Order: sequence, then structure tokens, then C-alpha cells
Amino acid sequence: MADIEDDIGIALRMKGVSKRFPGTLAVDGVDFAVRAGEVHALIGENGAGKSTLMKVLAGAFDDYTGGVSLNNKPVLLHSPAAAKAAGIQMIHQELSLAGPVSIAENVLAGRLPRKGPLLDRRRLLAECRHHLARVGLDLDPVTAVEEISLHEAQLVEIAKALANMPCILVMDEPTSSLGREEVARLFEIIRRLRGQGLAVVYISHHLPEVLQIADRVTVLRDGRKVATEDIASVTSARLVEMMVGRNVATLYTQRRGRPGAVRLAVRGLSRWGFFHDVSFSAASGEIVGLGGLSGAGRSELARSLCGIDPLDAGRIELDGRAVRPRNYRAAIAAGLAYLTEDRKAQGLALRLTMGENMLSAIIPRLCRLGLFSQRRGEPAMAGLIRSLDISPPQPRRMASALSGGNQQKVLLGKWLTTHPKVLILDEPTRGVDVGAKVTIHRAIAELADAGTCVILISGDLPELVGLSDRILIMRGGHLIGQLPRGHATESTVLLAANGEGRLEPA
Amino acid sequence: MTEPPMIHTVPPPPPPDGRMPASNRFVGVLNVLGVYILVAALFAIGPLVSPAKFLTELNLLSALQSVALMGIVAMGVAFITYSRHYVDLSIPGIMAISGVVAVWALKFGFAASMLAGLAAGAAVGVVNGLVVGYLRLNPIIWTLAVASVLSGLIRWVYSGQQLYPDERTSAGWEFLNLYNCQILGKPLLPAIVLVVAAVAAHLLMHHTAYGASLKLTGSNYEAARLSGIPVRRVVGLTFVISSVTSAAAGILLTSFNKVGAEYVGKGYDFMAVTAVVLGGMTLAGGRGNVIGVLGGVIAIALMTNVMSLMRIPPLHIGPWAFGEITIGTFWQNIIQGAIFILVVGINSLSLRKAGRDDS
Repeated sequence: MADIEDDIGIALRMKGVSKRFPGTLAVDGVDFAVRAGEVHALIGENGAGKSTLMKVLAGAFDDYTGGVSLNNKPVLLHSPAAAKAAGIQMIHQELSLAGPVSIAENVLAGRLPRKGPLLDRRRLLAECRHHLARVGLDLDPVTAVEEISLHEAQLVEIAKALANMPCILVMDEPTSSLGREEVARLFEIIRRLRGQGLAVVYISHHLPEVLQIADRVTVLRDGRKVATEDIASVTSARLVEMMVGRNVATLYTQRRGRPGAVRLAVRGLSRWGFFHDVSFSAASGEIVGLGGLSGAGRSELARSLCGIDPLDAGRIELDGRAVRPRNYRAAIAAGLAYLTEDRKAQGLALRLTMGENMLSAIIPRLCRLGLFSQRRGEPAMAGLIRSLDISPPQPRRMASALSGGNQQKVLLGKWLTTHPKVLILDEPTRGVDVGAKVTIHRAIAELADAGTCVILISGDLPELVGLSDRILIMRGGHLIGQLPRGHATESTVLLAANGEGRLEPA
Repeated sequence: MTEPPMIHTVPPPPPPDGRMPASNRFVGVLNVLGVYILVAALFAIGPLVSPAKFLTELNLLSALQSVALMGIVAMGVAFITYSRHYVDLSIPGIMAISGVVAVWALKFGFAASMLAGLAAGAAVGVVNGLVVGYLRLNPIIWTLAVASVLSGLIRWVYSGQQLYPDERTSAGWEFLNLYNCQILGKPLLPAIVLVVAAVAAHLLMHHTAYGASLKLTGSNYEAARLSGIPVRRVVGLTFVISSVTSAAAGILLTSFNKVGAEYVGKGYDFMAVTAVVLGGMTLAGGRGNVIGVLGGVIAIALMTNVMSLMRIPPLHIGPWAFGEITIGTFWQNIIQGAIFILVVGINSLSLRKAGRDDS
């Protein structure tokens, strides 16, 4: 263990921090300390509580419990403004820069230097150049942000954060859009900032990077801290073990059904820039997992497969017959269905009722002689409400008035009404409570037992490993291989997704 | 080692299950009910303002006549509002061009004139539908531009002149008498067209697959798209529907004015959308219904009527003397604008309070 007990040189200390969401304790009594002049990695699976913990630090919640102190002074981080004033700066995956505006105005946004009522242009440019130099950029500060490259923009984002003189800099997956050389350059800058005494929190899924840049690492799991270790004393395998930890085999019931005939076969699917030359097949009654890091192209593959996004090349066969859905409607009619990952923005219309949502994918099937009646769908809906245990079981209730878990069940139910041959599930249990998760897992297993071909995309490794009959691994837009049931464990999947370990050809 | 003082905050009470009250339906019902409460109130006020005139058949008929055309337009606009695309600002242009084309086509006979007028309006609607629905241009900006183009086009084609139907031909005579044609001894045609449009709109919006798809699209465009709904076609069709009702109203208005001209239909876009939102259909899309919109139309009819009957008697205050004050069209315009702002303001405030502003 490498926890720090003394207070000398501690830039940030969080003690017993908890944050509760309806139905879940997202962060549960976490202690977390970062020294000045240290890069501290924060890792964990999706849903482990990393981003919630960092949101507490960013002042996103006014109802967290526990204490936070900066440089041994207690602070109350109940608003983003309070967090900024305390010297905390965040750099997110998505950039916060305004495209058409100059670099200088972006970097110094909110505190542009003034001369009387007017902008002090000379000082603006000089200050901006100074901040750009800190991140090793030599750009003309009057250039608009939309005219520079993405990795330059990423560095400008860092310069902007540094311009606020932070004592803590939090970086969330800063390398996700960078190439190898740019990553090396970024690391050089991070090391230099560390040398200047800045405390850096580094969040990443990429373990090799963590081992390369961090001084210490803290692992979270299920909202709790597993351990804080010196980086010298850990390996990739050890970190994966800590992230995965528990034995969950008991949570997932043994499946009764056996895979039948090949139902879906795809050959050489490509959408340039998203995924390339993907070939695999999946049988009826089989649950095929699709593993990989975020950005590996899994959701994009699913969307193109269903005709939501275009496809540049490749062939799709359903039950031995070639299909090429022109649009999503045609794909649904052909027997494909895709449960989207973001239920609020893309899945449900929250201002409509549960019933309207549940029947929204089969509107054409509820018509007789051109007249639509929701009542025709009610028997099927009542069955699903019962089998998915949706509570309260009131179809007239607003979807927005349901808990996250029940909303997710409604979304699953919506696709079950279409009786798909192939059901693609993208993060089917993200952000839901344990009870709903168990129900959804049981429903997925039953669906496969009844002969549906299920393709499961999930960043929740226990779920992916526990439910899937085999797991296809995607990395950087390519399908790099598969892990059969016996060989798929959370560790092997995580290592494979990071480009390590041995895989069978898919 | 000294423990640094920590600020410990009080844990919040756990939120009760199903924390949001299912108040959406409630808001919707209240909106629709609200407009009929307003209608009832206006019926109560009317006799007080003008005991002699308000409750006469003649007055109520003229009140109905005065809003029938606006009501027909509102039935189409309701589809656009329901789809969360606000309004079609090219409605005045569509009304004008349908009227002008109908007058021009009178030389081919009365039926051809009607069809040509409707087709001309629908053609504009198809273009609007393709551009807003498929190319996803901003509906306000696009239809504003179309309105300007149509107005210029009509003036250019007819060199700034107005187009008069020829009274001597039978088609021309029929056209001129269309608006006032006697049904059951009264000029009821516009009101009958309004009722037909309302029934058709009600069926289409609430009892067809198209209406159900439209509701989902207006509530959450992205979720509708990812439910396999052809959202672009659904949105595009709202503009076609609205153009057909506008064209029908435009032909009737041209008959009433006895002249086809570029200015026919001016102001109808705003009046119609005022009736739509007053009837409980919020600009946020996917809420409200046709019965409410009809209530909005009736409420505006009565309001205008009551205002026109209102007489504030001459006053003598000290040395100042005020003549009789009547509420003319200027004031009616101002009051109508104020109503629109009030209704939209209350709607968005109550939605924001309920935390539904974003969804």
C-alpha cells in the first residue's frame, strides 16, 4: 500500500467522500490523496466511480458527503465556480473550446485583459503566447481554433486549464484522440508540469500509458477504493486483477439453450474511419459479446449493421440470405434491432408515457385499415411489464417518472415487441441498480434460450464475461480475434482490449 | 499528525422512489381544459360588455366567420408545431399564391381553378418539406426566405398588378360567391371547411400511425429516428399538410377579397400559431391535441369579438375630456401579441419548473 499518512506536500486530500444517486451509491467513502508534483492515475472499470469522484472535485454536486482539502485547507466544492476558485481544473475528453474564436480568446476566456473598457490586445496575445509555450506550442494566438489540428487543440485545452493557475489538474482520457507521437509529446509536457510542482490526476483505461506516466495509481471498484499503489510495484496483470477483483460467476445463471444454426454472418464490413474489414458470424440462441475499449468501433459497427449509419463495404447475411437494409426501418422489418447506449438522448422519449415508448418501434404494426390504436399493443405490453418486472406497472405513467433501471427495462421491452431475430444490445445496464441489472440479464439469457441471436456490447466486464458465449475483441476499428467461453475472463478481455494476450481468430 | 479540519456536509435524505410526479399529463390536460375555461369566461363576459349585441345569432356567426380562415390555417400549423418545428412563416405567401393561381386558372373552369390553387400551395409545401425535413434547414429561417420569395414572385409575374376574377364568366361568378355561398340560408362555407379540417386533423394526429410517429418525433427526434421512424418524411409531411390548409384558406380569402394579390394572407402565420399555443400545444413539440387547438381558435374569435364590442363611454375628469374609446385593430394586434408571449412564457416556465425543459 502506498497511502500517504502525513500531510507534507499533499495538494489534494479527499476523505470519506460519498455521492449517492437514486438507487445507487456511486462513490462510497473514498479516501484519495495526491501530492504536489505527482502524476496520480485513477483507474477502474466503467461504473467504478472514477468520473463521479472527479465530478465531486469539479463541483458538480452540492450534496456529496465527506471532506475535501486542498493544500491542507478544507474546501467546500458545491459549485463549479467554487472548484475553479479553489484551483481545480479539468480536461475532459470532449474539448471545451469555441471553434470560430481565436486561440488567445479561448485560452484566456472569462478573464480577458482590459485597458479601461477596451480589450488590451497586446497583453492578450503576449499572455497567450506565454501559456502556449508552457505546453510546447508555437502557434499564432489569433488563429481560430477550428483551423488547428485536433491534437493541437488538445494542447490548447491544456494551456487554457494551466492559464487558470491550477494546483490540481485532472485529465480524463487525454490521449483518446492522439497518435503515438503526440502521446509521447503530451507525456513530456505532463512530466515538465509535474517538475513544476503541479498535482496531476490522470484517468485512463489504457494501462500501458498509466504504467508509463503515473507515479502512483489508485484503483476503484464498485464505488469503493481498492488500493493505492506505487507504480513501480504493480504490473498490468496486477492492476487488472484489482479492477476486476470479485468473483461474479455466481451472479450469472447457467444457460440452458445451445447455439443453433448460423443466423447472422457478416463479411468484410467497413465504414471508412470507423471500422474496417470486420467478419464474423453468430448463431441463433447464441450470445456473442463484443469487447474493446471505448472508441474501438463497436457501437459504430452496430449502427451500420442496422442501417442507421452508412456502410462502405461488406456483406450481411441473415439466415443465409443477403440483406442490405436501406434504412433502420427496413432493418427492423428484416429482424434486426439495436438498443442504443444512451437511453435519455437516443432511447426513450422521456416526456411520453411508458406505454407510448414501449410501442414506439412497432407503430406500423398497430394499425388496422389505416387507423392506429395503442390498445392493440396492450396485451403484449402487459406481458413484458410482468416479465421484466417494471414498477410501477402503469403504462400511462410518464417515462421520466420511472427510475433509471425501469427506464432501461422499458427500452429493452420496446425492442422485444419487435420480436427481433438479431438483437444488438449496447450497454444494456449502464447506470442501473443491481436489481434491474439482474432482471435484464435474466431476460437476455431467456431471449437467447428462445432462439434469438444476441450481440452484446458492454464495457461492464463482469456482465460481458458472465453473459457471453464467446467474446469478439475489437481494437482500433479492427476485429482482432475472439475469446471462447472457457478462456474469457475479465482479465483476458481487458488485456486483449489493450492489445495484449493471445486470441483465437474470429 | 494533526487531522486537518474537514468540512462534513449533512447527507441528503434519500430520494423517494419515482421522484418525479407524473405531472406532464396533468399539465397537458390543464392546458386543454384551460383554453375552454377561457372560452366559457368569454361567453360570460360578452353579455356584460354588450348586453344587446353579444348573444345574437348575427354576432356569434360573424365571430365564427372572422376566425374560420385562421382556424383552417391553424389546423395545419398544429402539425408543424407538434413536430417541434414551430411554424411555417411562408403561410401568407402560400395563401397569396394559391389565391392568385386559382384566379388565373378560372379560365379553365371552376373545378380546375380550385385544384390549381390547392396544387400551387401544396407545391410550396413540398419544397418546404424537402428542405426542412430532408436537408434539415432551420424552419424559421427557411420559410421566412420562402415568404419573401413568394411575395416577390407574385408581384414580378403580374407586374405589381392585382388579379381580378372575371365576373362575367360562370367560373368567375362562382369564385366570387364562394366565400359567401349560402348553406342552410347562411354563409357557412368557411366554418364548414374549418370543421372538416378539424375532424381530419384530429383523426390524422391522434388515430393514425403517422400521428403516433409524429408525436414521438416531436418529443425526441433522435429517439424516434432510432426507433425506425422515417423522421425526415414525418417532418417533411407536416409542411405539406400545413400548405394544403393554408391554400384552402387562401382561396377562400381571395374569394372574400374579390381579388388575388400578394398581400392576401398577411398576418395569418402569427394568428394561427397563437391559436395553436393558446390551445395547449407547446412549442416544445409532442404535446397538446387538436381539440385544444380548436379551443384556441374559438377563444381568439370570442376575444376579438368582445374587444370589438367593447365601448368605454366618454369620460370627463376635471378639465380633461375623453371621447368614446373603442378597441380597434391596432389594439387587437397588440393584445394578440401579448397573449402569445404570455402563453409561451407560462408554458416554458412551468416546464422548466418541472425540469422538463430539456427532454
